[in-house]
Amino acid sequence: MNKHKKLLSKITAFSFVLPAILVVGLLLLYPVASSIFYSFTSKNLIKTTYKFVGLKNYIKVLSDSTFISSFRTSLKWTIFSLIGQVVVGFTAALALEHIRRGKGFYRTILIIPWAFPSIVIAMSWKWILNGVYGFVPIALVKLGIFSEIPQFFTTKEFVFATLLFINIWFGAPLIMVNVLSALQTIPKDQYEAARIDGATSLQQFRYITLPHISVVVGLLVVLRTIWVFNNFDLIYLITGGGPANLTQTVPIYAYNVGWGQKQLGVASAVTVLLLVFLLVICAIYFRILNKLEKEGPQ
Amino acid sequence: MNKSKLNRSLLTDSISYLYLTILAVIAAFPLLWIILSAVKEKGEMITNPTALFPKKLTLDNFRVVIEQLHFGSNMLNSVIVAGCTTIVSVIIAALGAYGVVRFFPRFGKVMTRVLITTYMFPPILLAVPYSILVGKAGLVNSRIGLVITYLSFSVPYAIWLLVGFFKTVPLEMEEAAYVDGANRLQVFIQIVMPIVTPGVIAVAIYTFINAWNEFLYSLILINSSNKMTVGVILKSLEGQEVMDWGVMMAASAMVVIPSVIFFMLIQKKIAGGLAAGSIK
Repeated sequence: MNKHKKLLSKITAFSFVLPAILVVGLLLLYPVASSIFYSFTSKNLIKTTYKFVGLKNYIKVLSDSTFISSFRTSLKWTIFSLIGQVVVGFTAALALEHIRRGKGFYRTILIIPWAFPSIVIAMSWKWILNGVYGFVPIALVKLGIFSEIPQFFTTKEFVFATLLFINIWFGAPLIMVNVLSALQTIPKDQYEAARIDGATSLQQFRYITLPHISVVVGLLVVLRTIWVFNNFDLIYLITGGGPANLTQTVPIYAYNVGWGQKQLGVASAVTVLLLVFLLVICAIYFRILNKLEKEGPQ
Repeated sequence: MNKSKLNRSLLTDSISYLYLTILAVIAAFPLLWIILSAVKEKGEMITNPTALFPKKLTLDNFRVVIEQLHFGSNMLNSVIVAGCTTIVSVIIAALGAYGVVRFFPRFGKVMTRVLITTYMFPPILLAVPYSILVGKAGLVNSRIGLVITYLSFSVPYAIWLLVGFFKTVPLEMEEAAYVDGANRLQVFIQIVMPIVTPGVIAVAIYTFINAWNEFLYSLILINSSNKMTVGVILKSLEGQEVMDWGVMMAASAMVVIPSVIFFMLIQKKIAGGLAAGSIK
């Protein structure tokens, strides 16, 4: 009887987590496994038959110079976006912590970009920076900064910087809000004590603020790196990878191969390579993060 | 000494305000420009592109969006898909998060690792098998197919956020209910859920916004315009020969304004939850 009851209680406990396990298994692990499988086949978007091709897809991808250049673009896109987002988000959070009046007002305004769907990010900035009637390009000409209307999306000197700017605009608020909530967990008396001991504000920042928030910020940077690296929508919707493949990242390359050229097998190989790269980077990241966690407070 | 300190704080104060004001203008400008462009007359947008405020207000653009483009039905598609995704994910995630916190606490760390790993799966990687599987299941062009694929990102994220909230529930209250003869489901629904309701609402709104904002799966799995969600229909609108920016901004305003309002209501909770649910 008792044994029976114990089993029953185990079953009810397990039934709580079962739906979540099914979602992870059927919608995440299984599809990834099948993607790995398809990456070794000649799977086509339209044709129903396919055959096993071994490593052919991988060889094809890795010897394609367009893939190599999109990989390089992806790295550049991720690193510069992250640096920009962290710098802007972090400094904005510190400034918000510093001021006394209007905190809530500024905070509310500053998070607006975070709520934007990628389609609206793309359309609004395309309109603001439009090369014929756009507010900013025409204002820049009127101010005498440019002699003719600058083309932010089609000139090769501008396009990448424009995308970076838009991505920083979108991503900085998330960093800011999270840094802000991490800052709030720091006990105020620590600053008090440091001030009594004669610590400068820079020292306070280095020895109290940074160690307290480094774990949260570290994790945040990992998550945002993954997100930006994997992001498809923003660039697809703004430039589509152009002009002349200049802003083509790996996800867009994969999309063009899979849905443009209908070669799903090859596209799978591209995305599997993407995942492997991320796994390696994150393994290194977490090593560093674990070290930080051990050295930090708590 | 005191005076120089005062001067310094005045200086850092004004630098902070200046910096925040510049950022606020940049952050808010697109939303402002969307709204202003949406209510401007077409002639004015062309003759004076840098005029901030319209000389004459018009709702013509909204009329075109609703009456000619039937954007309302696309909005409805997005609401249905995002709404169903939210309801299903929050139920699955609440059960799962509570189950791990209460019954399998030792798996907490493993679960966090699994969730972070699944977060690493590129959406474009999942898009390939999804397009094949959804095709096999006969769910291409269906909202159900879309909802199922949306669970892949909404459930893990909701679990992550909810774990932080469930940890705040005091065990004693649950134990008292068990003594009174309640079973686990009753305890969960009658004791635990009321305590975490504010957190669950925040997570639900966040899930809704993320589903509302989703683009890639919707692009790949839906191809008839009456089933399209707002993102994909706006993209297809851009591809038309004559692009009417006023109309585009009116449609954008309808998509983004609800998002912004809801976001402002929940942002504090989400940020706290992200930190709390993450590592400990």
